[in-house]
Amino acid sequence: MKVKVNGVEYEDEVEPRTLLVDFLRDNLNLTGTKIGCDTTTCGACTVLVNGRSVKSCTMLAIQANGKEILTIEGLSSDSKLNPIQQAFKDNFALQCGYCTAGMIVQAHFILSHERDLSEEKVRDMIHGNICRCTGYQNIVNAILDASRRMRA
Amino acid sequence: MYPAQIGYYKPQNVGEALEFMEGNDAKILAGGQSLIPMLKLRILKPKYLVDIGELAELSFIKEGEETTIGSTTKHWELASKRISGLEIIQNAASKVGDVQVRNVGTVGGSLSNADPSSDYPAVFTALDATMIIRSRRGLREEKAEDFFKGPFTTSLDPSEILERVKVKALKGYKQVYKKIVRRAGDYALVGLALAIKIDSGMVKDARIAFTGVGDKPYRSREAENEIKDTKLTDSDISKAVEASVKGINPPSDSRGSSNYRKEVMKRLLKNSLEEMRNAS
Amino acid sequence: MSYAGKSIKRLYDDKFVTGRSTYVDDIKVNSLYAGFVRSNVPHGRIKKVNKEDALKIRGVVAVLTGEEINQLIKEGIGPWTTYVDPRPWKIPLWRFAQGETKYNGEPIAMVLAQDKYTARDAVEAVSVDLEPLDAVIDLQEAKKDKILVHKELGTNYGFVGNFNAGDADKALASSDRRVEVEISNERLIPSPMEPRGIVSHYDGNLTIWYSTQIPHFARAEFSRIFGIPESKIRVIMPDVGGGFGSKAHILPEELAVIAASIRLGRAVRWTATRTEEMMATNSRHNVFKGEIGFKSDGTLTAIKGTLDVELGAYLTYTEGIQPTIIPPMIPGPYKVRDLMIKSQAIYTNTIPITMYRGASRPEATFIIERIMSTVADELKMDDVEVRMRNLIREDQIPYTNPFGLKYDSGDYQTLLKEGVKVLEYHEMKRWASQERAKGRKVGVGLAYYLEICGFGPYEFAETRINRDGSVIVSIGGTPHGQGTETAIAQLVADELQIPIERIKVTWGDSDTVPIGLGTYGSRTLATAGSAAISSSKQVLDKMRRVAARVMNADVEEIDYRNGEFIHKKEGRKVSWDVIAREAYGGKEPGLSASVVLEGDVTFPYGVHMAIVEVDDYGIARVIEYRAYDDIGRVINPALAEGQIHGGGTQAVGQALYELATINENGQLAVTYADYYVPTAVEAPKFKSYFAEKYHPSAYLTKSKGVGEAALIVGPAAIIRALEDATGKKLNKTPALPEDILQ
Repeated sequence: MKVKVNGVEYEDEVEPRTLLVDFLRDNLNLTGTKIGCDTTTCGACTVLVNGRSVKSCTMLAIQANGKEILTIEGLSSDSKLNPIQQAFKDNFALQCGYCTAGMIVQAHFILSHERDLSEEKVRDMIHGNICRCTGYQNIVNAILDASRRMRA
Repeated sequence: MYPAQIGYYKPQNVGEALEFMEGNDAKILAGGQSLIPMLKLRILKPKYLVDIGELAELSFIKEGEETTIGSTTKHWELASKRISGLEIIQNAASKVGDVQVRNVGTVGGSLSNADPSSDYPAVFTALDATMIIRSRRGLREEKAEDFFKGPFTTSLDPSEILERVKVKALKGYKQVYKKIVRRAGDYALVGLALAIKIDSGMVKDARIAFTGVGDKPYRSREAENEIKDTKLTDSDISKAVEASVKGINPPSDSRGSSNYRKEVMKRLLKNSLEEMRNAS
Repeated sequence: MSYAGKSIKRLYDDKFVTGRSTYVDDIKVNSLYAGFVRSNVPHGRIKKVNKEDALKIRGVVAVLTGEEINQLIKEGIGPWTTYVDPRPWKIPLWRFAQGETKYNGEPIAMVLAQDKYTARDAVEAVSVDLEPLDAVIDLQEAKKDKILVHKELGTNYGFVGNFNAGDADKALASSDRRVEVEISNERLIPSPMEPRGIVSHYDGNLTIWYSTQIPHFARAEFSRIFGIPESKIRVIMPDVGGGFGSKAHILPEELAVIAASIRLGRAVRWTATRTEEMMATNSRHNVFKGEIGFKSDGTLTAIKGTLDVELGAYLTYTEGIQPTIIPPMIPGPYKVRDLMIKSQAIYTNTIPITMYRGASRPEATFIIERIMSTVADELKMDDVEVRMRNLIREDQIPYTNPFGLKYDSGDYQTLLKEGVKVLEYHEMKRWASQERAKGRKVGVGLAYYLEICGFGPYEFAETRINRDGSVIVSIGGTPHGQGTETAIAQLVADELQIPIERIKVTWGDSDTVPIGLGTYGSRTLATAGSAAISSSKQVLDKMRRVAARVMNADVEEIDYRNGEFIHKKEGRKVSWDVIAREAYGGKEPGLSASVVLEGDVTFPYGVHMAIVEVDDYGIARVIEYRAYDDIGRVINPALAEGQIHGGGTQAVGQALYELATINENGQLAVTYADYYVPTAVEAPKFKSYFAEKYHPSAYLTKSKGVGEAALIVGPAAIIRALEDATGKKLNKTPALPEDILQ
């Protein structure tokens, strides 16, 4: 299979049963994407496939054949944080950090598709991403903050 | 959790898919949002997956006197499209799972999976939708109500694909899909697909179907009949509410007990009917 | 320059927000993958493990049974003897299942394969002949001792203790009123986002990467269990994705991974799937049943009752804490001195129970706060008034509670008065009652807590100043999301008067940090922070001595301010960096100081308030959660607030949504999809305040602790708010929609 991940083309052989998240983590060594559950509940493994956020534990790698994938590693260049990443940091929107990659990728999806964000809307659009540490308020604040930064 | 070994086939068109499925132990893979979790748990271990997820011929919404929806149309596409006379579909689509699931999951996949607590089966049952099913033998049509046979069971045989769904617009109907969940994103504790047509204060038609209350979507014709040709007075509503739980025995599980579900059904129907009446 | 007291941004966030974090599953080591065949009965005799089919699968290296694994496991998993006195306990040997399995889900064989998919295939291919035996799943059934979980113990009671103070019978007899109470918490699952994981590599020495809160205790336990000296075991804690107490717990799966790495001479790894994680750590489940006595003016005079704590099938490293800490904490911040509490811990054929955030204080607080609210309801008194009448007065503090716990500092009544104002309790109560009159089912409830935290008996810190003047602080605490490392850097930066950017805080490697207790029980800032202040003071003294030498002066003549050593009389200055370089220049080289600082418990307290709304279907949401706490000196308000948010959301989960149902076959009957950890939709909005006039602990930091506060008191506040909204009596968590609707 061939995929473009974070702008880089990869070609690899995979067993059809390989989940996209395992392909990213084990074949491509992109371990920024995390695995938090096995029931498509937690969203820690969220990545973009052709611009739409998906839970990469619930997609076979082979389904992504020929597609473009964006993972947390592709959101910033090493020297500079993307505005969402910066906003997460500035708003104390992470604690243990395990949900953070999925949460930020989902936030990225939300911010590239929704213009009029309210707190309620943000909460509704991230309910597929579970965080056990922060209680979400700072995450919601960070996404709203990032939204302001990106428009400014 | 990791799926068992499996073969993968990606056809170029529906014909190829059907050809492959005949005689092979194969499961159709569309968005995978229902199928892949079951593969991971190894509840399902087919020999092959036939990936129809990207067949353009199956992904469409054609509006008209009758609207047809291709089976690989994604939830988000339905959630972002208001179809006149079928607003309930948009309503239901926007309540499936979460954003990520809606980004990938398909209407046909969800219908074929027939989870007894999922959203579309009740909606399409209430809409009297027609399922259009293709196999190498040709096309056959089936009413939604007959399509759902039991938990995770439909009338599809292993050589068939749900190709599209055909629905007549309910012009002039008030319609809503309401879903009671204990936590955002969960399957329905109880869901209600409700459509009623009120003309000069009288109920001309009513469609009432529940999800999450049995093996398959539950259309309550008794409840419908109780309000047809009435003015939807409190007493009409309460008769319909009582009728809606007659002879039904909802399951008990982590979402709630059977009796609790019955109570929720009654309250949900009552509240929804009152809202519709008060809005007209 | 002062950092303490400010919301300094977390030091190490960049790696998390860019995907460069390293949790245990992210570590790349050539290793075999472990998988576990699990029991599908709650109690059974293991007659035969059929390995052949699994061994035929390409990529499967070995299948190991309990007999084989236990050859390397010399001793069983035992209780945490730092906090649990094992003497009164009946403790079954807990190793890898051998001969019998004691709970549904227990690992009964191990497979090792070249990748995790193949390991899963192998697990499926192993069949075990299991002969089902009589099992006891229900706690009340287990108390009858008819079916025994461990025959050799002769009973299901692991612990029975009497906690008596004063004369409860006499006090009850002379009470104006007596009321029976039953108060309980159902079984929960801590559910950190990162499931447990371990990588073990053996080359004569053991190197273990482990998702743990307690690397040094883990090393000590592995040493004891495997009979290998601690010097030959290195436990490394990489980034850890949350623990909440569940990662201060050692599993047979983990011992098996280590055993296999020794036996096969190959690195072995295991990362629990979420399903496995849910079976690895269950928590809570306890029932208090008894009677209370009180005066007509609301004074609580007596508590008498029995506390049943479920243990599950084995005594875990941490669960022994509960039956011995819950009873002495039941009096809480109140004056009641006549108590008679029988505390018993009972084995059942279910998943073993571990501690979970708050461990014992949530249970004690729920019991005493339910009792306070019961008194209020019985006498039709206001919740605040009842508590005010019972709270220990400021002039009584320091106060020795009836069980001998010494409450160090505080002013409980003033905090309640202030809290009620700051949280706008009375205003919100009025608002709720007006809204209820309009038909909305909203309610407001508060609860008070006194917490014991800052557990010692000691903690380690080392401050090292490098040759370039930068600083490394090693701590025995093991932050895993709390951000304590940032707060400690703030303290050290203040102590050394240098920019915080020059300080790096490290922890969690048993080879580089000589000793450490870890992070649990809201202890890290007070204990490790104080140790770090102390070691920094010492290293600064060393710097001063070097400066004196460099400046040809007596140490007394040298002042230090903001990165400069100053000759008091002559005004000559030498910079921090020059002294650091000089210190490594030859004479008595080196600039490091390490400290093992003793410390004892401290008692933060506060009042929290919940505003809930219940819909027509009995489904409740906490709309808002407000907290007012005296946690001692607040070093980083944003971090402290984050603990309130997180703990508060777990409290919402415990009070309303989370329930680890065990079915009649002893099987966990929920998956992660319907074990309802709150999402952003269920999580409330938070307002969190800390008392400006705080009461310090005896620790150098003057801080107390905040990590668990909101989960300690939150369930009681939320349940009280639900009662306000619905008019019902609710005495257990979670309150399910059907309980609410009934």
